[in-house]
Amino acid sequence: MTGTGIIAIAAAIAVFTGVGAGVGIGLATGKAVEGIARQPEAAGDIRTVTLLGAALAEATAIYGLVVALVLIFLKM
Amino acid sequence: MGEKLVEAMESHKMFTMNLFGLKIPVSDVIVSMWVVMAVMIIFAIILTRKLTSVPNKKQNVAETIVEFINNMVKDAIGPHHWKAFAPYLGTIMLFLIFANTISIFNVIPGEGFKLRPPTRNINVTVCMALMSICVVIYAGIRYKKFSGWLKSFIEPSPVMLPFNILEYFIKPTSLALRLFGNILGAFIVMELIYMALPIFAPAALSIYFDLFDGILQAYVFMLLSCLYIAEAVE
Repeated sequence: MTGTGIIAIAAAIAVFTGVGAGVGIGLATGKAVEGIARQPEAAGDIRTVTLLGAALAEATAIYGLVVALVLIFLKM
Repeated sequence: MGEKLVEAMESHKMFTMNLFGLKIPVSDVIVSMWVVMAVMIIFAIILTRKLTSVPNKKQNVAETIVEFINNMVKDAIGPHHWKAFAPYLGTIMLFLIFANTISIFNVIPGEGFKLRPPTRNINVTVCMALMSICVVIYAGIRYKKFSGWLKSFIEPSPVMLPFNILEYFIKPTSLALRLFGNILGAFIVMELIYMALPIFAPAALSIYFDLFDGILQAYVFMLLSCLYIAEAVE
């Protein structure tokens, strides 16, 4: 049984964390747009909080990427 | 193709420095950080020469940058303690902006030394995250006194003690991995684009992957450091 193919599949599964980050950032941005449309004067504050929330939600996808890279470059 | 990609991702030893009998290997990551430092120092000297109370052209640029950073730190940390941390946070943001976007200045053709973002190496980002967490601990001890800082571990209740201790390990890990993963991901995508479509496409996509992503990650790193400090001093 070749290990290389299994490792490639494992790396592909690790990148599935991107699904959660995509849904999270989409929800956060959607709510931010709603907020700005309802209250345009609060746009500055909403922008800061949205960027922060997007960065935090994105972290899970980045962990997936790091795990995939470790699998590919250290195990293969 | 795979070997070329790995070659671009890894750091290479460029020369060995002799320091008091110690042989220190210097990699291209460190050389590109030296380039960033040199550019920043030259800009700082040019922009702050002959300061006057009525600003001229150069001084206006410097004042805009400083005002922008000061306002951002003041919003995040509050009007009382912001002054001690604005220089550190501004330096780290300007350094990261230059470091993340340095690959668009890679105009030297051929093989050999290439300007690539130093933050694609995990050692650099871990080091910057450790610096930030040291500033957070210093801020907590300075503004709450040592006893108040120790007491903050058992707030709101002693049950939270393990989580509060764990926080000091999770914060730098997430800061370092976020910066490293984002920059390395964008760097790999750009390298693949250079291999597949060497004409026209990189110019357009580089605006997103090099400029926008690099500046956004520098901003996020600085904003998160700001919020951690604000949490420590309140």
